[in-house]
Amino acid sequence: MKEPKIVAFLCNWCSYAGADLAGVSRLQYPPNVRIVRVPCSGRVDPLFILTALKHADGVLTAGCHPGDCHYTSGNLVARRKFALLKSLLDFVGVEKERVQFDWISAAEGNRFAARIKDVTEDVKGLEPWERWGGRQNG
Amino acid sequence: MDKIILEIRDKAQELLETGQVEVVIGFTAGTLPGKSTPCFITRGEDCELLVWDEGCKNNLANYLVKEKRKAAIIVKGCDSRSLVNLLTENQLSRDRVVILGAPCPLTEGCEGCQIKSPVIYDYLVSGKAGKTGEDDFHDVKTFARLSPQERKEYFYKEVSKCIRCYACRNACPACYCRECFVENNLPQWVGKSTQLADNLIFHLTRALHVAGRCVDCGACQRACPMGVDLRILNRKMLLEVKELYQFEAGLKEEQELPLNTYDPGDPEPFLAGGGEA
Ligand code: SF4
Ligand code: SF4
Ligand code: SF4
Repeated sequence: MKEPKIVAFLCNWCSYAGADLAGVSRLQYPPNVRIVRVPCSGRVDPLFILTALKHADGVLTAGCHPGDCHYTSGNLVARRKFALLKSLLDFVGVEKERVQFDWISAAEGNRFAARIKDVTEDVKGLEPWERWGGRQNG
Repeated sequence: MDKIILEIRDKAQELLETGQVEVVIGFTAGTLPGKSTPCFITRGEDCELLVWDEGCKNNLANYLVKEKRKAAIIVKGCDSRSLVNLLTENQLSRDRVVILGAPCPLTEGCEGCQIKSPVIYDYLVSGKAGKTGEDDFHDVKTFARLSPQERKEYFYKEVSKCIRCYACRNACPACYCRECFVENNLPQWVGKSTQLADNLIFHLTRALHVAGRCVDCGACQRACPMGVDLRILNRKMLLEVKELYQFEAGLKEEQELPLNTYDPGDPEPFLAGGGEA
């Protein structure tokens, strides 16, 4: 398959800092990812993810570990939305590897690099994504 | 004549004639047999037009959201659950509405309906509601056993019938946003044509927007001119909210909606690799 395109929504305070650490630590991870920095995982509207899937083959959303949110509970509120979105997508036959979530702290550069690798490889192993039946390319 | 409808008419008439309300929202006979239609009655003598029969399927709670007058509304189980939601969500002030509860007139009832009598009311018309079914979510569970490919094919096929008329949204008492995301143009989340991708995103998002608030009244599906099976999505969310957060919408006032809150120990079934690093 063509190289898959992955979109990652990363919260500013933990996961984006984790990605940054992966960068400054010169950890290797696939170049397939396009990062979108958001203020908090609580900012990630399901529409972001559904819309990203119009243009990309996989989506990773990551935020601070529960208990570590800069805004105390943004990620806890997000957690319920994510749980429902994920089960709904699964229900309508979207492969579970295509939309993934994780908590990645600012100290977890390794975890960030590993997760990007997993998502990219998982998505490569799937049938090509028809992007909601749309015709977008690239 | 059925005792229930006589009692409803009497009470409605009294409310109008004593000036307690300016309008009564109920059902009257439709142009087709078996299809009663929502009506707005403002004069006591017109209350004899009210009916309460098999055709009273629509969810009247929807009409209250935009009603500016002091209104009485005639409700069965599901309409009353929508009222509870609207009160919880501050879309309605309790002192502006008189709730006339009556047992659900549908003898067969809707499949899986557990609550046929109103959960909230100012006056309750006595009488027995038809029997309730048992909701074991067999439809959702059976569907979930199909292969992912089969599920996707079914969902895509259903949604490709959609002509984006928004009748489903407009009929839904839980869909009252002044500006729906489908009408946003900065940013424009979904295109307005019937391209499959936009249709899919519309229906998935709407299912998520009503998750934890949908009362399974079926109004959306009945309103759909294209016969799109919307219910399966809503019921999947119903089951999920029930299993993950032990929550059922519209049963009591003063309950926090599941997506407005959280529990530090909430399950995380969505995490990659089950949450292992
Ligand atoms: S989504 Fe449909 S079934 Fe649920 S409350 Fe709205 S109209 Fe009723
Ligand atoms: S679909 Fe969502 S945005 Fe649109 S009216 Fe319903 S709740 Fe509001
Ligand atoms: S009522 Fe039916 S056709 Fe109209 S927007 Fe809803 S699903 Fe589509």
